[in-house]
Amino acid sequence: MGIALGLVFFYAPIELEEGLLQKIFYLHVPLAIVSLCGFVLGGIMAIAHLRTRDRRWDLRSYVTIHMSLIFGVAVLLTGSIWARGSWGHWWVWSEPTLVSFLIVFLLYATYQPLRFAIEDPERQARYASVFAIVAGAFVPLNFLAVRLSTAYVHPRVLGSSANLPGTMRLTFLVSLVAMALLFATLCSYELTAKRTRMLLRSRSRILGYQ
Amino acid sequence: MPTLASALPEDTGDGYVAAAYIVFFVILLIYVAIMALRLSHVQRDLRDLRARTQESARDDTRQDAAGGQSKEHDDQTREREPV
Repeated sequence: MGIALGLVFFYAPIELEEGLLQKIFYLHVPLAIVSLCGFVLGGIMAIAHLRTRDRRWDLRSYVTIHMSLIFGVAVLLTGSIWARGSWGHWWVWSEPTLVSFLIVFLLYATYQPLRFAIEDPERQARYASVFAIVAGAFVPLNFLAVRLSTAYVHPRVLGSSANLPGTMRLTFLVSLVAMALLFATLCSYELTAKRTRMLLRSRSRILGYQ
Repeated sequence: MPTLASALPEDTGDGYVAAAYIVFFVILLIYVAIMALRLSHVQRDLRDLRARTQESARDDTRQDAAGGQSKEHDDQTREREPV
């Protein structure tokens, strides 16, 4: 993350049109990509749970979606700040990328209430997995729909090298890798914490202290 | 000098850049703080569990010792009793 920040502020050139404001791009876009990939990954882990009936996959799916939601909050906030600086508005409802991300975010915001509304752990894991798979399939479809839409107000950065010179591309890729590593580290941290708590609870139950 | 100042863009957007990065790090900090709080709860529960386990182990040892002593006492009394 330090290397990425160093590249963003000391290596990547200042963009001509947006100026310093374009530096938000190296934070906002990797956050959005990692967050969306996290949602899809949560769905894949949910498939693994339904196939194997192994509760560990359900826990991994839950943690990945939880972390993607946190990253999603950061995406919406940094995107709003960027929109305000660039377009003069905090939010533009006519912009399909913004609205589609909000829809995905709100969809996943219902994941936790749905999950914890079910008391039976077996049913809870099963229903949460079904939700994660359906919503996970919706994410790439949504992305594709936005890409196919005609209003291209939102800047396209991937797939068009003309938009991004070499130094900016390198900085962007390093930022993306850094964000993905941060995501993986936080997921691993939360998984370990959750497993420890579950182990502690089960030991207490075995010893009759709960 | 005024000519130079007027040539500079009025809003370079550095405030927005700082705000975006600060927001990101604040979110990260809040998450880490919540996790640290949860971890401290786990540590407290672990300490409680260890204390209870040690206490119950001590009680078991004491009961075993007391059981052994009372058995010896019973045997001695039985020996002293007239047949």
